[in-house]
Amino acid sequence: MESRPRAHRQGGHHEATEAHAGSDGAPEALVHEVCALWAEHLPGREVGADDDFFALGGNSLTGIAIIDQVKRDHGVELSVRDFYLAQTPARVAALIERGRR
Amino acid sequence: MRLTPGAARDIDPDRVDLFDLDLYTAGDPHPVWDAMRAKAPLHHQVLADGREFWSVTRHEDVCRVLGSHQEFTSERGTVVTHLGVDDVAAGKLMTSTDPPRHTQVRRAIGSRLTARAVAPWEDRIRQAIVRFLEPALDGTVFDLAEQALRLPAIVTGPLLGIPERDWDELVQLTAMVTAPSDPHFRQGSEAATLAISHHELVAYVTAWVKQRRAAGGEDTSLLDHLMSVRAGEAPLTDEEIALNGYSILLGANVTTPHTVSGTVLALVERPEQFEKAQADPSLVPNLVEEGLRWTSAACNFMRYAVGDTRIGGGTVPAGGAVVAWIGSANRDAAQFTDPHTFDITRTGAKRQVAFGFGSHFCIGAPLARMTLRVFFEELLQRCGSIEVAGEPEHLRSYFIAGMTHLPIVVQKRRTP
Repeated sequence: MESRPRAHRQGGHHEATEAHAGSDGAPEALVHEVCALWAEHLPGREVGADDDFFALGGNSLTGIAIIDQVKRDHGVELSVRDFYLAQTPARVAALIERGRR
Repeated sequence: MRLTPGAARDIDPDRVDLFDLDLYTAGDPHPVWDAMRAKAPLHHQVLADGREFWSVTRHEDVCRVLGSHQEFTSERGTVVTHLGVDDVAAGKLMTSTDPPRHTQVRRAIGSRLTARAVAPWEDRIRQAIVRFLEPALDGTVFDLAEQALRLPAIVTGPLLGIPERDWDELVQLTAMVTAPSDPHFRQGSEAATLAISHHELVAYVTAWVKQRRAAGGEDTSLLDHLMSVRAGEAPLTDEEIALNGYSILLGANVTTPHTVSGTVLALVERPEQFEKAQADPSLVPNLVEEGLRWTSAACNFMRYAVGDTRIGGGTVPAGGAVVAWIGSANRDAAQFTDPHTFDITRTGAKRQVAFGFGSHFCIGAPLARMTLRVFFEELLQRCGSIEVAGEPEHLRSYFIAGMTHLPIVVQKRRTP
């Protein structure tokens, strides 16, 4: 857990810097980006790669905003079901990565 | 949940767990509520995770909690599934908004749902119900509870402006909202199930609005009305349209099916009541009221105490969550003689609070009442006898009291 990227809301600063590929094959940079994006929509929360969306206080209105943003940033339209069942930034990053292929 | 209570038990209200989903699936909540009304009219429960809530179970207290927004606010959420998490839609979703804003929006939307406004729909609704009943009349096993989930969509789909191809998906999504732990509807965790269903329903209405705007013009549907209505001098915001559209879809879909199944089961279990209703169709409106009281499909709603509030012989502290148990209020002997007797000729059945009480009284009640009346008129006219052909299965939910399966076999009526 500690080696996975963590992002703070303030400026999207990345705490962890060591190279680390997402377990499902998403590049670490993308996992970072997803953590930062979640942190933007979950005010006051520190978001780690394996943190649970719902434990962080995420809800469907947060989810709608995040899925919209992913579409704008990455051109990938995530399936609503896949997104909530993935439930962590690492796994959501893997979904984005798969969607890009 | 069982609607006819089993044998009386000695119940200690202090040991009652109202969050135990097994109580509603396989258990027997009525004796529990009886004990709470008698011994603990203000009940306090602390969950293992530290969340806590108070419960009122008497008719009088339930009406006060639901009806007095000055004492009990709706703006932090009204559904017990979300206990402890403030409602993200507060002030935008009608059910999570207190007066005065609530009054403005409610008046605007409600003008299309009054008894007078929905009366012209009766013939269409009757045709839809006759079509719905057809497959039940061929003498084979018909799962009423499962089929009834589609009934509101069939009946209200055209009124709302929802095309038929979308009904099944919307029925599935609304069922997920009300019973996220039920194995019939769960997707992953309870939280994921709720988020998926909320998200897709809100997204559905949003997409619908976008499409209607692009197409231009207006139709007479209720969703179209949401887009053009003015509440307090201004139109609804897109977010208000999406959330209230969601709420209307939910309200239309998730309660009426359970009132249908539960009332049919009550009639089947009591042949003398069934015969009485069949002999005198003028009893149907009161049968509907008794069915609403008996089934209390919306089992409870929640409010939060605004200040320290005396109620039910105790005090709810400011900010405390209060659950008003509608299912219990409708079996309060102080209001209903022999409350656990299902009696279609009961006087005062209309005092039931199955639609809630006060300013948040169900906006769709006139439509639901008409749908239920027409349903039972047609059922009684067409069915000679009904037998239960298997164990009913109950919905795994502490919020909606209902069934997922009720297999029945119908014999056609020969002499209408």
